[in-house]
Amino acid sequence: MSLSNLIDDWSRYRKGREEGGFHDYEHMWGMSIDLNKCIGCNACSVACYAENNLAVVGKEKFEKGQGMHWLRIERYWDEPDLGEERTSEFQQHGASFLPMMCQQCNAATCEPVCPVAATYHTPDGLNAQVYNRCIGSRYCSNNCPYRLRYFNFWSYYENSWPAPLQMQLNPDISVRDKGVMEKCTFCVQRIRTVKDSASMENRKVRDGEVQTACSQTCPTGAIEFGDMLGMYDPETGVAETKVTKMWRKYQVELGKTKQNKQTPELRGYRVFEFLNTDPCVMYLDRVREV
Amino acid sequence: MSVLQHLPLGRFIKAAGRGSRQTKHTVQVSFIVMLLMAAMAIFSANVNAEVPNAVPPEGEYSGIHVEQPIEFPHDIHADVNEINCMYCHTYARRSKVAGIPPTSKCMGCHSIIATDKPRIQKLTEYWENKESPKWKKVHDVPDFVHFTHEKHIKRFVIDNEDLQVENVSEVCAFCHGDVKKMTVAEKVKPLTMGFCQRCHQANDGPSDCWHCHK
Repeated sequence: MSLSNLIDDWSRYRKGREEGGFHDYEHMWGMSIDLNKCIGCNACSVACYAENNLAVVGKEKFEKGQGMHWLRIERYWDEPDLGEERTSEFQQHGASFLPMMCQQCNAATCEPVCPVAATYHTPDGLNAQVYNRCIGSRYCSNNCPYRLRYFNFWSYYENSWPAPLQMQLNPDISVRDKGVMEKCTFCVQRIRTVKDSASMENRKVRDGEVQTACSQTCPTGAIEFGDMLGMYDPETGVAETKVTKMWRKYQVELGKTKQNKQTPELRGYRVFEFLNTDPCVMYLDRVREV
Repeated sequence: MSVLQHLPLGRFIKAAGRGSRQTKHTVQVSFIVMLLMAAMAIFSANVNAEVPNAVPPEGEYSGIHVEQPIEFPHDIHADVNEINCMYCHTYARRSKVAGIPPTSKCMGCHSIIATDKPRIQKLTEYWENKESPKWKKVHDVPDFVHFTHEKHIKRFVIDNEDLQVENVSEVCAFCHGDVKKMTVAEKVKPLTMGFCQRCHQANDGPSDCWHCHK
């Protein structure tokens, strides 16, 4: 089953790419993150902890790199060193921030290496991780160029949510135990709920109906989340979604390893796209003086 | 709301209100009617009405008997009095869980009907103490499984034009067994992944892992 799953996923992806439309996909969830708007406040990360039952591992384990933050804010400093003549305590330009979560790659590097097919591609264009199937080989994590997969080295549920904090756990997502790989799911439990209620009302999922915890929480609205299929199937009359509009505006296209950068207005790019992972998350470059 | 429009709710109410209209003069008549209905139920028990447009899942299970605070007789309610499953388990068509009815729903009928029975007296005691009986869960799936009643009811009952909503218990019986013949509900179906998967394959259900695993 696992082998046929992989072959099906891959051929579906190739077909979608060559024919210029992901016909077999029900949805294709994507994101656009405007780094101009990101202020590095970490609210998205906190929201992710609350929504997805992420374990708080503590200082010591965090220093060893065992933190379970599915969404992390990466900091980049323009001037790596303050030099000997410190005119200020801080670097002049400050840090640039980049929220980093699973990029839900269409040609994901983690998928083909899983020995038990615990990670596979769904018809929603998501990179799924089935926790009770995972045997903890950690191949996927080693093969991920973004380092976005987090491994449960310990059982955290005993210490991470001391009573009565276990009451705040989200019942729509399981609490992972030791030996299981986990990662950002684009809040699949929210997608599932919305899809269920849409099908109960015999309609399609509306644009903006699904919100991930991070995009809902972002105080500056830097993170946009939505379905991208309208972009690839304009003839069916599917209205353009917000995310599709953003991707079109900045002329970022799926399936390319390098985006059009002819004018400075075209700020869109995808992280490590030259590796041909074809991620579904688009970032917009930060613009500033100097 | 569109879901509710499809359901003849009047039938549930009629079935439930049957007892409440009794007066002392009609007790004997209704007793005979009850006997007749019971007899009919026994004779019709062998005729297992099939659900159209559906393949029932295969598999049997015999589990441990779960003791409940009150030995609730499903057979008297669902079989003898023909109360629809969804009259009490009202959330089945509206949410993930089928729901245990609140004690007020029991008391809606049982403040009048069968008040001399020991089980009803125990129930009345709970009601007067403003407590609810601590019902124990019989059918449970693991925490990593996403199961929603409403979509299954939609597929097999609401969208199934050939099925009368009176026969909804036949659909419930796919996973819960013939509850009409039980007093306290017993787990008679395995509810394992193989059990689910066989039914999904037979009825063209989704086979994507992330549909059910969370």
